[in-house]
Amino acid sequence: MTQNREGRSSGMSFGSLARRPEAGSLVGLVLVYTFFAIMGGAVFVGAPGWSSWLNIAAEVGIVALPVGLLMIAGELDISVGSVIPASQMTAAIISGHFGLPILLGIGCGLGVGLLVGYINGLLVTRTTIPSLIITIGTMFGVMGLTLGFAVLIAGSTSVFLVPTPLTKLVLGTFLGGMFNVSIFWWIAFAIVIYFLLHFSPLGNWIFALGGDRDSARNAGIPTRGLTIWLYMLSGFAAAFVGILQLMTYQNAQVATGQSFIFNSIMCVVIGGVILTGGSGSVIGIVIGTATFAIVNQGIFFSGLDPNIGSIIIGALLLAAVLSNDGFRALALKYSTKKG
Amino acid sequence: MKLGKILAATAMLTLVAGMASAEGAKIFVIGGKPDDPFWSRVKLGAEHAGKVAEAQGGSVTWLGPQNYDNLGPDAAELIRQAIDQGADAIVGPDWVPEAMDPAFEAVVAAGIPLVIYNAGGLEAADRLGAMNYVGAVDYKSGYAGGEYLGKAGHKNGACVNTLPGAANIEAFCNGFNDGLAAAGGTGSVLQLPATAFGDATAVAQAVRAHLLENPTIDAMFAIGDQDTNATISGIQQAGKTGAVHVCGMNFNDSILANIQAGSQACAIDQQGYQQGFFAVSILNNFVNYGVTIPTREILTGPGVIDASNVELVIEGVKLGAR
Repeated sequence: MTQNREGRSSGMSFGSLARRPEAGSLVGLVLVYTFFAIMGGAVFVGAPGWSSWLNIAAEVGIVALPVGLLMIAGELDISVGSVIPASQMTAAIISGHFGLPILLGIGCGLGVGLLVGYINGLLVTRTTIPSLIITIGTMFGVMGLTLGFAVLIAGSTSVFLVPTPLTKLVLGTFLGGMFNVSIFWWIAFAIVIYFLLHFSPLGNWIFALGGDRDSARNAGIPTRGLTIWLYMLSGFAAAFVGILQLMTYQNAQVATGQSFIFNSIMCVVIGGVILTGGSGSVIGIVIGTATFAIVNQGIFFSGLDPNIGSIIIGALLLAAVLSNDGFRALALKYSTKKG
Repeated sequence: MKLGKILAATAMLTLVAGMASAEGAKIFVIGGKPDDPFWSRVKLGAEHAGKVAEAQGGSVTWLGPQNYDNLGPDAAELIRQAIDQGADAIVGPDWVPEAMDPAFEAVVAAGIPLVIYNAGGLEAADRLGAMNYVGAVDYKSGYAGGEYLGKAGHKNGACVNTLPGAANIEAFCNGFNDGLAAAGGTGSVLQLPATAFGDATAVAQAVRAHLLENPTIDAMFAIGDQDTNATISGIQQAGKTGAVHVCGMNFNDSILANIQAGSQACAIDQQGYQQGFFAVSILNNFVNYGVTIPTREILTGPGVIDASNVELVIEGVKLGAR
């Protein structure tokens, strides 16, 4: 069983720093930011540049955090890509098409995310099918249902919604005309999940689950309930991003959200989570998300061909996986020395 | 061997004869993903024309890919499926000629009447031996947008390309740049990476970054309705509302509201409903009665929607035809 209790590690020696799972990703973040700060100049380093990549990071980040928890627990969730349009379409149909109270629409949209998460969790824990396959299945299922119901009920694949001033303010405003409120939601999600993973007993259980599922169950951890709960969290987060986009762009589309599947996994891996599970940290995932967003946006400030951005992200991903292994070996070496 | 061939040919003849007399026209329509907002309108047009075919004992079947990741080969496969299912007539877009032309040639070789629609133009119809082309010409759609913004006095334009490499999108952008140039301006292309496609926030942030880097831009062109909404958001976030004017391909409720409110200058409509409707009608009438449309290249667009005609379009939306 591999365990990373970030809350316990203290001191700033090289050893303890290198042992932290996010060490490699922090190096990547600094390198990438420096590169684009030089290329992009004053605009990128100033508020417009910061808000630009933070707006991107916030939405991917809200999805990446619970997806990261699942990956630490040794599972994947592909269905987030269709939960985003499903939740916003649900909310837009209820509150836009039928004109019912907006809170009801938002509640039902988030409920769709929880429901899909519950079904994912149930299928993953009750069958031996890999979660990759199960969540690809639910992704297509949810995609089809979203399209079917949207066309059946609203007669259209895009539904319009005018949010109330309060919901627009809380979920879809740009502060100073630049910073999307989603950034603050991302921070809130990160804080909650940080305490969950690194301070609450649940955190240890999640690491144990990804380290060795059978041992975890034998040790008395309710693995089934925990897995279902983690899937519901990722469904909820994806649904929440769907609502944020709906409130920002005031329009629900059935075909949106697919890019979040790979983008969220990339953020998590760049952030130092090991694909086989059992290791990773919330700070790492946040750093990985920031790195991903900086590359994505920095490219437009740098005057380089945007396709180069994709190449950099691909290279970062490979570098992250390689350095994860390197840092892991280093960490194990240091801990054996100590202990 | 010989006997087998003769028997097969006889069986085929009887089958075809039986269909033509009793069953009406089995028309297969190859189109986009059914959840694509634009294609759902094309599909509606095809279905409405299909009501006539159904009344005559025929049918209209929509074949669309699950996604656009492997568009050319997937669409070619759908065309072959239509042949295999015994189509009396086939409608299809020539999105990726390299991958799809052999399948269209097989349609013509099997003696099945073919109409190319949506993409490819009359050129593709002539090359493949199709009866007609029904659709907007992408280049002309982009040109209309560029010309509209250029005539309104805007000088420096950028076309937001969220699908670099797709021939029809390149044509939108080339048309936009040429239309703007004809009216005395200059145009460029903002190319987005593949990770941005379908993500409104990514498109909005890219537009905003591009505007901050290129402050003289005063006109933009977006290739779809989702991208247009995202582009307008990017302009607002860059603090350029009123300084940068947008035209976009296609439209939806929020775009019509934006045109009414003045935050979008114009929308270019390919009038997708017409594409589905006329392509199916032409083939249905041909299969049942042998009548033809001598006008070749039935243009369904560009139709420009701006503040002057937006109210009429909104009425059309309510009726489900736009």
